[in-house]
Amino acid sequence: MTPAGVHHAAPGARPAPVTAQVTGPARGWLRLAWLYLVSRRAPAALALLAGFGALLWAALHWHWNVAGGAAAAIVIPLVTESGAAAVIAVTTYGPFGEPERATGRWLPWLRLGAAVVLTAAAIGVLAAGATGGDLPGGFVAMARNVAGLTGTGLLAAAALGGMLAWTGPMAYLVLTESALAAGLTTPWVWPARPPLDRGGAICAYAVFAAGLALVTARGVRESVRDT
Amino acid sequence: MTVTSLTARPAPAPAPRVAPRNLARLLWVELRHNAMPLVLPLIAVLFWFDSYRIAATLPPLWVVRLYYILGQGHALIDFAPFVAGVAAWMGSRDGRRGMGDLVTATVRPRWEAQLATWAATAIWAVGAYLVVMAVTLALLGRSVAWGGPPWWPVAADAVGIAAFASLGFTLGACFPSRFIAPMAAFGGLFAMAISSQTGFSASGGWALILPTMSNGNFGQDAGIFYQWLPDLPIDRVIFAAGVAVAAAGLLGLRPAAGGLRLRHCAAVVTVTGAAASVAAVVLAFTAQLGPYGVVIPALHDAASDRPVRYTPACGHAGIPVCLQPAYRPYLPDVTAALRPLIGEVAGLPGAPVRASQVAAVFAGGPGVQIGPASVGQILTLSGSPPALYMPLGAMALPNSFGADTAGFIDQIKVEAVHTLVTSGGAYGNPAQQAVEAALLQKAGIPPADQPSAMSTTPWPLMGGGPRSAAKYPPAIAAAARRFAALPTATRHAWLAAHLAALRAGHLTLAQLP
Repeated sequence: MTPAGVHHAAPGARPAPVTAQVTGPARGWLRLAWLYLVSRRAPAALALLAGFGALLWAALHWHWNVAGGAAAAIVIPLVTESGAAAVIAVTTYGPFGEPERATGRWLPWLRLGAAVVLTAAAIGVLAAGATGGDLPGGFVAMARNVAGLTGTGLLAAAALGGMLAWTGPMAYLVLTESALAAGLTTPWVWPARPPLDRGGAICAYAVFAAGLALVTARGVRESVRDT
Repeated sequence: MTVTSLTARPAPAPAPRVAPRNLARLLWVELRHNAMPLVLPLIAVLFWFDSYRIAATLPPLWVVRLYYILGQGHALIDFAPFVAGVAAWMGSRDGRRGMGDLVTATVRPRWEAQLATWAATAIWAVGAYLVVMAVTLALLGRSVAWGGPPWWPVAADAVGIAAFASLGFTLGACFPSRFIAPMAAFGGLFAMAISSQTGFSASGGWALILPTMSNGNFGQDAGIFYQWLPDLPIDRVIFAAGVAVAAAGLLGLRPAAGGLRLRHCAAVVTVTGAAASVAAVVLAFTAQLGPYGVVIPALHDAASDRPVRYTPACGHAGIPVCLQPAYRPYLPDVTAALRPLIGEVAGLPGAPVRASQVAAVFAGGPGVQIGPASVGQILTLSGSPPALYMPLGAMALPNSFGADTAGFIDQIKVEAVHTLVTSGGAYGNPAQQAVEAALLQKAGIPPADQPSAMSTTPWPLMGGGPRSAAKYPPAIAAAARRFAALPTATRHAWLAAHLAALRAGHLTLAQLP
């Protein structure tokens, strides 16, 4: 006899709690999404995003500045935005690997949904943090930067794996600071562009879209070194 | 039969000591399964873009090319955050996977196994840094004419990377989570940003221990006229090594790390590392700025004060012009700058009979004059017979700070004319300014270009707006035109008769011909 043939509970076994029973497709969907988010540590990620929002608020409220030129002027908001993007990128790391891919029919949609929801949450908490003072570039620039940086994180997740996805925003941050110090004004260095600059926005959102598409369709890379 | 009558049995052969070999195998396993190699290509690309690409465009002198990479700590900025992040990931491995109890129950003490993982992570990081620096130095050195790179700052950064690896690993082991790696990395980046900010603004004290602090300890003519002083890099090595050891020791303090003896050993290691770091900071407070850099009395070796021997590279610009061989690429520029001027003043009393390069130093000291107090290190005229002394290391060389060859030549012309006409670093009275303007015109800088040529010197023309757009006062400009229009023999004869009085500031504008 296999477990599939068991139709009755063993004597003395406790019945399953009523609240855990799935009563409809919507509830099932919600439960699936919740389990996925928990497996990706999304609640902890939201707490960290809130922390970055608080950090941005404190930096703007108490005027934390780094002396210098264009590179230094935006370094604190950019570090905060990069931190938020790195946290989102790291949530793509999944602990289940092959079994999950083999059985998770809705996995691509869950990956897409989680990335979009967390990016929106990051923009939301950083917008709240921006109420602490005068954010360089305002909301539009911040949303563009977060989207683009998250895109670099998702691309890094696809290339290096979820465990190292944070290297994307980090590397982009270092490159941006170096490019700004050298006076480069290419739209690929979008944090240096004005808030309503079309080229910068196209580049940032294109990177975000590319990252989303790659992570949705292919998932993140799994490495043998992910030990 | 008594016990004493028993024949003694030979002692059993000692068990083979397999522990070191097992530890080596464990280290080998950790090296093969380490996550660090995955990010090394990314670090290499960042290093190329952020450090090498900029250094390769700078003047071909070791001290200038490595100022950005080692002096301002960009090598560490490129490596440290990523190393800290990956080390945190490796340190958090057992905790993330919920295997803490399982591995604690194994025969090998937990601390020992963690040290193997830590060592593998640090070996990958430091090894990669050394390889990258070796390639960088080889590429940068191809166009450097003379001298060698400083090794102690390279070592200080290597130990600094080990310290970041150690801190990240300990953080990961103590707070295992998927988010610890980005948090450690951003913590590292934030620390380096603060270090850069402090390093730019501070001038001494505890801030000298920061790897991005270059004020007074990396630059001028170090490694060219005098040796690289190793005092501060050695102090930084002590500090970083102390941090690395203390962080690794912290891992062994936890109850699951091993037996009581092992934890006592870990405590000793931790305290030793912390003491070394504190001692290094205390030593930084005792540092003094000397002519050749930062001197820490407790670490200073008098042999480091010996000047560097060299055979000068000489050319001719009407008078012999000799430079330190590291500056050989600039010899044509210097002779081109001096030749027209020497042609104007040759034979005059007080005119230079030779020109020699002197060291640009960090500060004045016994037997070392830093130049006129108000303007710092400039070309000076002194001695008998007079010689022109040129601290080229204190000037903006071509391809540095936005300077080009024409600007460099003009800067030499302006400073040489100024020191000939105006003694010391003073601005000069109207008569001196007028003669200076005329001589500059004869040396190849037209009056219209002189405000721009003088804008980067200590004596820019004042006009209320941008320095390069300023003009001479009309009276001075008119006198300069008159003086420049004189026949060469007349001008030479007037200078022969009046140069001493002019230099002393005894002539007025009306007394010019």
